[in-house]
Amino acid sequence: MNGQISLSCRNIERYLGVEEERVHALRGVSLDIAPGTVHAVVGPSGCGKSTLLYILGLLDQPDHGSVMLNSETASHLSDEELSRRRNEFIGFIFQFHFLMEDFTAQENVMIPMRRLGQLSEAAMRERAAELLEAVGLGEKLQRPSRHLSGGEQQRVAIARALANDPSVILADEPTGNLDTDNSHRAFDLLRGLVREKQKALFLVTHNPEIAKACDWIHEMQDGRIMVTVRHDQRSNSGTNET
Amino acid sequence: MTPPFYIALRFLSHRKRALLLSLSGVVFGVAFFICLQAQTRGFAEYFINSTLGSNGALRVGSRFEPRQTTSLVPPKTSRTNVAHRQYFEGITNVSEIMRVSRQFSNVVACSPILQGTLSARSGFENATVDLYGIEPALHLQTTDLSHQIVDGSLDDFRNKPNSVVVGSRLANRLNVEVGDTVQLLAPGGQYRRFLVAAIVQSGVGSIDSTRMYCHARVAQVLLRKPYAASMIIYKLRDIDRAPALARHFETLFQHDAASWQEREESTLQLFRTLQLSAAITVSLVILLAGFGIFNVLTMMVLSKIKEIAILRSMGYRHVDIRAIFLWQGALVAIAGSLIGCAIGALLTWGVSKIPIHLRGLLSTDYFVVAWDWRHYLWAILLAMISVFIASYVPARRAARLPPVVTLRGSSV
Repeated sequence: MNGQISLSCRNIERYLGVEEERVHALRGVSLDIAPGTVHAVVGPSGCGKSTLLYILGLLDQPDHGSVMLNSETASHLSDEELSRRRNEFIGFIFQFHFLMEDFTAQENVMIPMRRLGQLSEAAMRERAAELLEAVGLGEKLQRPSRHLSGGEQQRVAIARALANDPSVILADEPTGNLDTDNSHRAFDLLRGLVREKQKALFLVTHNPEIAKACDWIHEMQDGRIMVTVRHDQRSNSGTNET
Repeated sequence: MTPPFYIALRFLSHRKRALLLSLSGVVFGVAFFICLQAQTRGFAEYFINSTLGSNGALRVGSRFEPRQTTSLVPPKTSRTNVAHRQYFEGITNVSEIMRVSRQFSNVVACSPILQGTLSARSGFENATVDLYGIEPALHLQTTDLSHQIVDGSLDDFRNKPNSVVVGSRLANRLNVEVGDTVQLLAPGGQYRRFLVAAIVQSGVGSIDSTRMYCHARVAQVLLRKPYAASMIIYKLRDIDRAPALARHFETLFQHDAASWQEREESTLQLFRTLQLSAAITVSLVILLAGFGIFNVLTMMVLSKIKEIAILRSMGYRHVDIRAIFLWQGALVAIAGSLIGCAIGALLTWGVSKIPIHLRGLLSTDYFVVAWDWRHYLWAILLAMISVFIASYVPARRAARLPPVVTLRGSSV
C-alpha cells in the first residue's frame, strides 16, 4: 500500500428498516481505497454492497463507525458540507445511468460543474465537450440523452462522474444494464481513466470478469467483507490494508 | 443564473402543457381580479366624487347647546353628547364661522346654503323640490357645479336673480328646458315664476331628481327663514381628514358638523361590501390557480424522483432541490402576474367602453372604472402568496426525499 488514502471507512455498522423488518445491513466494515486503484465488491444480493457504496459516497449515514475522505472525517457533517464534498471529491455512476432525460449529453455533464460554480458557462461547455470526446461521444454533444443508446448513456454518465475531476469514483453495477461488448467497453474506459488520472474507483458488480479485472476484489456476505483478494493473492480479512 | 434556477427553467420548458395550464390559472385570476376591482372601485369613486362635488366634504349645520341632565350618573353610551344636545335650526353667525374656518389649512373653500323644501310647478307637472339658496361665486369655488352643467349657462344664473338651476331628472319630471319658466310655491301660498337658466347633472340620482338652486336672498324670501344659512359646506384639501375636522368644528363652533364619510355611510358601506365580495370571489379563482400549480408541481416531484436523487448524489443540497421547485412556482407566478396585469388592463379598458344607461343611485352612460395601481399590486401579491404556498409543500417534499431509497433499487 502506498501511504495515500483517498477514501476509507472504519467499523461501519448500518441498520435498515424498522421494528420487525430491521436488517443489520453492515457489520463492522472497514476499508481503505488508494488513488489509482480499482476495487470491486462482489457478493449475493442483499449482502450490503450498495449500502456500503452509499455510505462511502456520503449519501447515507452509518449508525456506527466513520468515513474518511482524503484523510478527513466526513461523518456527522451538515447537509451543506456533505453535499460540497460529494460535489467536489466524489463521482457516482449507477446501473441505470440516471441521466436527466430532457437534457442533452453536454448539459448532463455540466450539472455537477454548475453546482461547483468555478467555471464560466463557456468553460463548462468546453470541459463537458472534452469529457464526452474522451468517452467517444464528441459527435453527440447536443443529442438529448433519451435519444442515446444504453451504452452511450452509460458513457455520458461516466463523463458526468468525471466532470468535477473527483478523487473517488463510486459505481453501482455500472455495466449491469449493458450487453457484454458494451460492458467491457465501459469498464475499460473507466479503468483507463482511473489509471491515467490517478482516481480511486470502487465498484459494485455481479460480473465476475469485470471483478477479476480489478486490482482488489472484496467478497461480501451478510454485511461483512469475508474475503479480500488482490489479483491472484488471497488474504482473509475483515479490515483490509490495500 | 444559479443552478436551481437553470434546472427549474429546464424542467418547466419541457412540460409545456402543464406550464400552460398553471399559467392560464394565474393569468385569468389576476386579470379578473384587476378588472372587477376597477369596476367596483370605479363606481364607488364616481359616487364619492359626485357627492363631494355637490354637497362638499364637510357640512356644518344647526347650532346646539348641551342639554342639562338630571341624572347624577352620566350615561355610558358613546352618543351621550349628541343625545343631550338641544338643536337650534340655522346658522346666524355665518360670516364669523366662515372667517374662522378659512384659517384651517385643510379648508380650500366654504359656502353658505339656505336650504328648504318647496313645491314646484311647470304646466301640469308638480314636484317637491329641495331648494338650495346659494351665493354663486362662493358655491362655484366649493363645488363642481360649473362642471355639472348639461344645458344652459351659469352666467345667466349669476346675472338674473329670478333664475334657477335645475337638476336633470327634476327638469325631466317638470318637463322644463333652459329658457322655460318654473313656478315655486312660497309658504304664503303664492306662486313665483323663475327662469330656468341651466340644467345640471351631478351623477347622483337623489340629487339630480330633487335639487334646484336659486340665489340666497331669493331663497330667504321664499322660505321665510330668520337666519342667513341652514348649513355651510366645505371643500377640503385632504378629504380623508374630514371626520377629524368635523369633530373639531363641532367643539369650536358648537354647531352640528358631519363629514362626507358620516353623511354617506350607508352607501359607502354598500360599495365596500360589493368590492370585498368581488375581491373574495376572484381571490378564489387565484386560489384555484394555486391549487392547480400544487397539483402540477406534486406530479412533477413524483415524476422527477429519479432526477432529484441523482442531483443529490452530484452534490445538490436540500435547499437547492427545494429552490428548484420554488423557482418553478415563482416563474409561473411572475409570468402569470405580468401577463394577467396586461390582460386585466385591457379588460378594464374594454369594460369602460361598454355603454349602459344607469339612472338610479348613479347616473352614467358607460361603465365607470378606476385606474388604480394598488389593484395590480394586490393581484400580484395574491398570486405570489397563493403560488408560494402551493409550491412550498411539493418543494419541501422533494427536498426531503431520501436519495438512497430511489438509487438503491432492489439491492441492499
